Amino acid sequence: MPESLTILLLLTLPLAGALLVGVLPARNSILPRIVAMASMLVVLVLAAGLFYNFDGTIAGEPLGLNVPWIASLGVNLHLAVDGLNAYFLLLTALLFPVVLGSAWRTREAQFTLYLALLLVLEASLFGTFLAQNLMIFFVFWEAVLIPMCLLILAFGGEQRRQAAMTFFLYTLVGSVLLLAAVLLLGVEGLHQTGRWSFEFGHLEQLHLGWETELFVFCSIVLACAIKCPLFPFHSWLPLSYCEAPFSGTALMAGVLSKMGAFGILKLALPLCPEVSAVMAPYLEMLAVASIVHGAVIALRQEDFRRLVAYASLSHMGYIVLGIFSLQNTAMHGALFQVLSHGVTVVGLLLVLSVLEQRLGTSWRQVNALATSAPHLAIVLMLFILASVALPLTSGFTSEFMILFGAFQHAMAAWTSGALPIQLGAVVVAATVMVLSAGYMLRFGRTILFGESSCGTPLWDLNLREAMVFFPLLLVIVWIGIWPNPIMTRVGPAVSRLTQQVAGKSGLPLALSSLTSPDGGANGR
Amino acid sequence: MAADLLYGLLPEHLLLGLIFILMLLDMFRANRQLGGALFAAVLAVGSSLLLYQLFRGYSIELVPSEIVIDRFALLGRLVILGCGLVFGLCSLMQANSCKYWILLVSSLLGALIIMDSAGFASLFIGIEMLSLPAFALMVSFTGSAGTGEGAFKYLLLSSVASALILFGISLAYGVTGSLAIRAFAASLSSGGVQNLTAAFLVLSGFFLKGAVFPFHAWAPDAYAGARLQVTAFLASLVKGAVVLGLARILTSLLLNGEIVATITVLSLASIFYGNIAAIRQTTFKRLLAYSSIAHAGYMMFALADSTGARVEALLYYVSVYALTTIIACTCFSLISHGEGDSLDLLDGAFATHPVPAGVLALAVLSMAGIPPLPGFLAKVFIFKNVVASGLLLPSVLAFLGSYFGAVFYLSVAFRLFSTAPAVDDATGEVGKNTAWGGVLLGTALLTLFTLVPGIFNLLL
Repeated sequence: MPESLTILLLLTLPLAGALLVGVLPARNSILPRIVAMASMLVVLVLAAGLFYNFDGTIAGEPLGLNVPWIASLGVNLHLAVDGLNAYFLLLTALLFPVVLGSAWRTREAQFTLYLALLLVLEASLFGTFLAQNLMIFFVFWEAVLIPMCLLILAFGGEQRRQAAMTFFLYTLVGSVLLLAAVLLLGVEGLHQTGRWSFEFGHLEQLHLGWETELFVFCSIVLACAIKCPLFPFHSWLPLSYCEAPFSGTALMAGVLSKMGAFGILKLALPLCPEVSAVMAPYLEMLAVASIVHGAVIALRQEDFRRLVAYASLSHMGYIVLGIFSLQNTAMHGALFQVLSHGVTVVGLLLVLSVLEQRLGTSWRQVNALATSAPHLAIVLMLFILASVALPLTSGFTSEFMILFGAFQHAMAAWTSGALPIQLGAVVVAATVMVLSAGYMLRFGRTILFGESSCGTPLWDLNLREAMVFFPLLLVIVWIGIWPNPIMTRVGPAVSRLTQQVAGKSGLPLALSSLTSPDGGANGR
Repeated sequence: MAADLLYGLLPEHLLLGLIFILMLLDMFRANRQLGGALFAAVLAVGSSLLLYQLFRGYSIELVPSEIVIDRFALLGRLVILGCGLVFGLCSLMQANSCKYWILLVSSLLGALIIMDSAGFASLFIGIEMLSLPAFALMVSFTGSAGTGEGAFKYLLLSSVASALILFGISLAYGVTGSLAIRAFAASLSSGGVQNLTAAFLVLSGFFLKGAVFPFHAWAPDAYAGARLQVTAFLASLVKGAVVLGLARILTSLLLNGEIVATITVLSLASIFYGNIAAIRQTTFKRLLAYSSIAHAGYMMFALADSTGARVEALLYYVSVYALTTIIACTCFSLISHGEGDSLDLLDGAFATHPVPAGVLALAVLSMAGIPPLPGFLAKVFIFKNVVASGLLLPSVLAFLGSYFGAVFYLSVAFRLFSTAPAVDDATGEVGKNTAWGGVLLGTALLTLFTLVPGIFNLLL
């Protein structure tokens, strides 16, 4: 099957599924769920095929689907796999059927609205990750908000309205400036080349002035920092994570937060290489602040969902740290962390959701899982271990690579005469891994061991749930043990990206440090 | 020549004939459904005729420098007739007499004349024909006391606007010695106190008619007093025709710095005022009024561009905005069954009326400018012109203004989903109401605008 057709199917199959689900009779029927699951599984197969066939070569323009949409403005529906988005594609395709499978018997899955929203969400996420045109990227980036927001609103907890409103409006703040930046880039292109075009390949060729580039960079990073989220733009996070239904939280933490990382990789670095090189140390420090903040707050949480929310904040910080180390190893680590964190956090949340489905509202008091439901306990423990970055799990591979790369970058900056602040930040980030072991193991101890207090017997994993957790565990172990075959596919894209930033900055990476003359003045 | 007059102005003649037939029907007290059916049929014929002329590339100067049929005239009339058709289908059930249709058609006729006009005389006639029947529409067919106040405010300020426009025109005539708009535009670019005053007077007249801040005060009362479908008519077609009239005068003319600055400030004020004031509204019509003030701001913002793509952007914006407003109003009345216009009626409406609630949610999100809905594209078309004209800061401010807009549009959408939907579907109301035809046609047109956003660029 040609690549363009596959990509078109990735986008249209979920939408067609959503339409079909919408017209099916809802009453007590399993049919809508089967339709939704079938379309998600077909999409997973297609996406896996795309990933498998993608050999990593990036000669010239990425191919894929390219259809003009607004011809006079140079807005084409241009979607392609280009290496950077390969992991994101795979993660999205994998997590949706997993989440639906785990929510199969929940109350919300009885509603066709829920299934339709999931499918629309999947399609818009594919659009975001595959976009090769800035305007198309923006359109899908925003379109993701609507189904997610409605998911929280229609199926959330007590404060769902407030949570949905906060989520939407907070995220929209970033988008307002992002749209301004998108238009500004288009106008710059118009002035420099005489025609409108929003193609990434076209925009990367532009020579922006420092001021323009700074504006564009700040808008993009703000939008992405809110999406990620990154300290101090995370205040929408606990409310949304706690009020959404479990499946919604899983998708938010697993996939939606990755949009922020993807935005930085795909927009900020290639479009504003000079500013990125200068601003990278500041953002690294922001990332470390995020890591520390998330971990410290997570230590004090009694509610497991809040704990996972803040742990997620901490882990997302590692991704940003890896990206802004502007260094091959760290970038690979960040991409692995995307997969690893996505899979791990979804696994943790889905285990909690299984408990909630069994016990209702009393799931928060659950303990002694190790005796009452040993298989579930083992699964949960594996996710916890991946989350604390135990060697041989994906968490270790990614966080080790991130810290290794960031350390090299910071050392290079130090030896070239900068203050050792960056180095200190990396050391702090490495130390915080101990904290993460602290809160995750405390979480595990509370749930897994102790005197059984709840009276109702707890069923262990059934076959459906085991099938849900299996692919997640497979990814965790695979990346932990044998990451190389996955890594080779993104290798060329990653080294091209680091070279773009290094090449355009005009100075060796090591020099782009705190003391950079014009960055220091403008960067504040 | 006579044949040309007949052929070129055939849509106008059709509407004129329709008015006479409706009058006769009214006299003989014919079946009241007949009026609506005739209305829909004539508008459909008129639209297809315009489409035919458009594809044949028809253009003619019927009355030199007074009535000119060009691409804009064809497209503008097509937009008006298309939106009018959708509106007519939507209000087919609620219209209770032929008089309603007579007034509606007269107002539409005025809008068509605005689109044809190349001189100030016909422009002025068109504007008056547009607004006076609208006033009559507001006061008739309702028994409530608040209507009189709102309608009177509208009449009064509308005549002030007419006076301003007339005064501006006479000043312009003093300079150029001609009533042709083109002559005025040519002399405007040379500057001069009298020219600028004339331009400001005409502009403020249009701003008053279009309810742009600070000339907006009549709109909330007038909108709240009228019946919902009349409100929809005022907010969509009347406002759209006024804006397109302005586009007709200014075309892609390069404006003076002073005028651009004024327009920018006023439209920004309008965007902020409308969007922020709308947040605290509790009734749908007032919400619509404030949102229409904000939208008037966006449309006027398009005049600040200097890239010459203003007309295309405005045509797109007006058609999308008018259709969305009509659809939103129709869905609201389908949900509320005509009982009051409190926003509380929308609470949990998705559970009881899934289809109109879903469409209404999409319509308000489109008005808020959330991609990939057409309202977003409409805003992008305007903003890209303004950014390309070097006005980055005002555009960023306007984006911020639309952020405030998202707050209340979202809260409407949220009300619809505020209770979890019931498992068993609500059924039975679909199919009984002809308003569905209007909603369907409008949605189809909006889908077309979304799929082919460059449509006006291709046709213009």
